[in-house]
Amino acid sequence: MASFKPTKIQVYPKLGEKVTQDTLYWKNYKAPVQIKEFGAVTSIDFSPVTPHNFAVTAFTRIHIYGPFSQEPVKSFTRFKDTAYCGRFRSDGQLLVAGCEDSVVRLFDVSGKVALRLFKGHTKAVHLTDFTSDRYQILTGSDDYTCRLWDIPNATELTTYREHTDYIRCGVTSKLNRDLFITGSYDHTVKLFDARVEKSVITMDHGQPVESVLLYPSEGLLVSAGGRHVKVWDLLKGGQPLVSLKNHHKTVTSLALSSNGQRLLSASLDRHVKVYSTTNYKVVHNFDYAASILSLALAPDDESIVVGMTNSILSIKHRKNQEDSKEIAGQQRRRPSYRVFVKGKNYVPKQDDYLVSKPVKEHLAKYDKQLRRFNVSKALDTALETWIRFRKPEITMAVIKELDRRGTLKNALAGRDERGLSQLLNFLIGNFVDARFTPVLVTAAEMILDIYQSIIGQSPLVDRQLLRLQDLVEKELDYQKELLEVLGMLDTMFASSLPRKEVPCSGIGKLE
Amino acid sequence: MAADGGSSSLQLPCVFSPKSRQFLALCAQDGRLRIWNTDSKTLHQEYVPSAHLSATCTCIAWGPCRTVKEGPQRKKRKSEAVQVEEKADLLAMGTAAGTVLIYSTAKGALHCTLDGAHSGGVNCVQWHPEESLLYSGSDDTNIVEWDLQTGKTRSKWKADRAAVTSLCVSPDGKLLLSAGHIIKMWDLDTKEVYRKFTGHSTAVTTLRFATTRPPDSNGLYFLSGAAHDRLLSVWQVREDGKDKNSVVSFTLTDEPQHIDLVTSNSKEEAVRLAVVCKDGQLHLFEHFLNGPCKKPLSPSCTVQMSDTKESPMPIPLLAAVLGADTRTVMLAYGSHLQPVMEKVVSLLKETEIHDVKTPIVNAKSKVLVPGLPGHQAPLKGTSQGSEKRKKDTDTKEMSIAERLGEIDLSTISEKGASKGTASLQTDNFAVLLVQGLESNDASILNKVFQTRKDMVIKKTVARLPLSAVLPLVEEVTYTFVLSYRASLMVRWLKAVLMHHTSYLASLPDLVTQLGVLYHVIESRVKMFHKLTKLHGKLYLLMTQVSANICSAECEASFKSVFEDYSLTSQELSLSHKERMSLSSPHFCSYTPGSCEKSLHVVSKHLMTALRAPGDRFCKTELDFVLFSV
Repeated sequence: MASFKPTKIQVYPKLGEKVTQDTLYWKNYKAPVQIKEFGAVTSIDFSPVTPHNFAVTAFTRIHIYGPFSQEPVKSFTRFKDTAYCGRFRSDGQLLVAGCEDSVVRLFDVSGKVALRLFKGHTKAVHLTDFTSDRYQILTGSDDYTCRLWDIPNATELTTYREHTDYIRCGVTSKLNRDLFITGSYDHTVKLFDARVEKSVITMDHGQPVESVLLYPSEGLLVSAGGRHVKVWDLLKGGQPLVSLKNHHKTVTSLALSSNGQRLLSASLDRHVKVYSTTNYKVVHNFDYAASILSLALAPDDESIVVGMTNSILSIKHRKNQEDSKEIAGQQRRRPSYRVFVKGKNYVPKQDDYLVSKPVKEHLAKYDKQLRRFNVSKALDTALETWIRFRKPEITMAVIKELDRRGTLKNALAGRDERGLSQLLNFLIGNFVDARFTPVLVTAAEMILDIYQSIIGQSPLVDRQLLRLQDLVEKELDYQKELLEVLGMLDTMFASSLPRKEVPCSGIGKLE
Repeated sequence: MAADGGSSSLQLPCVFSPKSRQFLALCAQDGRLRIWNTDSKTLHQEYVPSAHLSATCTCIAWGPCRTVKEGPQRKKRKSEAVQVEEKADLLAMGTAAGTVLIYSTAKGALHCTLDGAHSGGVNCVQWHPEESLLYSGSDDTNIVEWDLQTGKTRSKWKADRAAVTSLCVSPDGKLLLSAGHIIKMWDLDTKEVYRKFTGHSTAVTTLRFATTRPPDSNGLYFLSGAAHDRLLSVWQVREDGKDKNSVVSFTLTDEPQHIDLVTSNSKEEAVRLAVVCKDGQLHLFEHFLNGPCKKPLSPSCTVQMSDTKESPMPIPLLAAVLGADTRTVMLAYGSHLQPVMEKVVSLLKETEIHDVKTPIVNAKSKVLVPGLPGHQAPLKGTSQGSEKRKKDTDTKEMSIAERLGEIDLSTISEKGASKGTASLQTDNFAVLLVQGLESNDASILNKVFQTRKDMVIKKTVARLPLSAVLPLVEEVTYTFVLSYRASLMVRWLKAVLMHHTSYLASLPDLVTQLGVLYHVIESRVKMFHKLTKLHGKLYLLMTQVSANICSAECEASFKSVFEDYSLTSQELSLSHKERMSLSSPHFCSYTPGSCEKSLHVVSKHLMTALRAPGDRFCKTELDFVLFSV
């Protein structure tokens, strides 16, 4: 006996944004926690030691938040004016910060009063950092100088006066205690060596530099300024590698993901872009409510912290993998599940004799109807699934199958007002979808042929038919325009192709 | 850098003249001082300081209402004496360069310049209420006392470690309040600190005495507001010196920008306070000052101006002063360059929205604000339509999209010929579109692509730089694939193809670039033939249905008329109905009253008649039809 073949549901490719590994990864964050700070959040720095607290510099304060706390664990408020660039030392014990009043302050993370004050700059200090040997501090200021200070004596070691405009960003090497990099509004990024007391490499960024970032290997340097993000090869003496322009306003902050595979840039245009560091293509994009001034990633990408001009700090925590899985598993397993799986997961032993039982074929409702040749009922059940799940694919497949069998007309005929309006509803809902149009046009024509005589009797059906007519009219207008466009494209293709003897149309060439 | 955006911002000085509130002195972004007459709502005087761009005006203070006797120059013009007596005359302006300009509104010219004492910018100026003395506080941490008779400094002393940001002289003229971060109260006779008040963590921007009582009665209160602070604090000066903390605080929605208060002279009199915040809202308070109150007080009334469009946009208030009687408030709002002044009555009582008559502002004038970055639309002088007042409207920062929505594109595109003269062009979205394409910003792209005006689309595409053409085509293709919004995108596609034909044709990989698009379109138009047929079918059927409906109406209304007709027509129609399964149109056509409606029905009868030419009823039917028409 030939068995019944169930209707094949055609799988249509899903439209819209392509889901990649990256989208999955970067979307796997919880809804952001938003904290209102006192002013624009200019800097965020994560402590290198667990539990990875982070220091948030906003207006005249530096707040330190714990990894999950929404209240500051600690705050430093002894600033006379706007504070800048609060950074942790590599052991997480000390914190250094610049200030608008040109004094650099060094804090013990557990204390409250500044341990050391470094006075010498004449203008606001926007850049502070510890060198890798942990005993020196690098500062950069609006007075065009950057200086190295000795922490134990609070004395100035060297002053570098090579920049010709404000120094607003910089970074020290984590591998070599003598190397550090500064970026300035004079459009240059300079690599200094404390042993030779002058800059070793100068790179011209082309715009005022807002942020610099060193790769963990320290072979590559990333600088951001204007709308550009540029990557430089330090080992080749500061050769430009890539220039990225994916923002429409100034890029203000840079960050690297924990494995070094993704680069993040934040900008005043309210976006954070994620780039792959292999091909430097944008792989993901975050939107925020206001212009972003600072961005930081927790180790292992556990959280993304973003500070904005409207003084809001937004913290996104990564969703816990085990949590989400457990919940999903629980939902699936109802109490009857144990009875249901009883014996099913039995693993046969070596000398067991296996008796195979024919698998019972499970048919969908509409297939059962189709098998019994109840075409009208099959269509009804298919329509019901559409109403319930709004997935037209199944209904479409059934209609197609009926059409193939040549019984579509029978299925469509003999309906009362309700049945007909349901059918028409489906038509109206899916008519303009290019994937379904061919089948639906046939169906619509059949409906008109069948129900021609009763048109005008039911106001409901009349209204739906009018809507359908409207829809068709619009679609026709639209297609007419599309045909015009096709004509234009044909002309263009024809003119672009090299002259040949045989005039070939664009279509042929395309295929 | 934008980092500064949050911490400090320019506050333009805006002050009403004392007592009669006849004038409003305003220093706008362009550095000019304008004095508006609040009665006639017209520009009274305009003064351009010689260094108005380098040394911008940072603060303004009206001098006390003078009688003409003061000042040697005024003596000569005795005739004016009576007239001028009650008027506010002198205006002190502090500048960022450290000078103080004294401007006379009576003369309409600069009275004198006080300079040489400050090395930093002047932050605040205050007049002594009785003697002709002026106090100024500066960034250089000093307070200078100026004698206006001589135009020289009378004394100068260091007031604070940080800049002096605010000053206030007590109503009896014996005490002076100064503030940087710490508020200090000075005895003006000895120039010694009388009291210190600490509590503000940011620069104090506002100081006002709230009572006129002497300090030794425990009844002297003053209030202070600071930058980035959403509280106004009230301090009590106590005899026993136990005045460490503020006694009362008022909650605001943003940092205070302009304050006016009616001082209380006795315990039984409430202090009335009007505060305009930086977000453009006005808050009114009424409070009896009699000791501490733990909870912050919320306003008794909040006012927000808005325009009367369908989606009202907030209009920021600039200043507000309380009238002499308890019920009126004078408001100034809109742009600094062209403020609208208005007197409002009984604000404390009403809660309903009400219309206010339109202030007289030249409707054609456009106000362009210099120095504001971005694609700022020309500020319409807040004059179209009538102003509406709403209570407690939410305010929020305008996004680009909202700003775009404000741009009235239709008016500009209509008079596109005069585009050369317009200083700000808003008839295309080219810049915005490029930005959107560059950063792939969905909201911007959405906004741009929603444009329905062909003119705007054309101009936008025409101005598009070549580098943005291909991304645009890609974006269009993408939306085509998604098939929503697609009908709007056709226009964009057409515009691109028309304006950039040669560029696109010159691309070596044109076929690969546009191939996807071509396929998408092709698959869409495959059904054109069948669809057109279907449309024809539907059209035919639906015209019949509509005819049916209208004839059904006719039937209902002319039923009585129909009964006058002979049996033959009824018979005919009935038999016809049986045969052709067409019911109502026939009835209709036989009624003489429905001639105007029956014309198209006639055509249908002709059709049915032709369809069955052999029918014996046809002839009669045709005759009948013609007859009835």
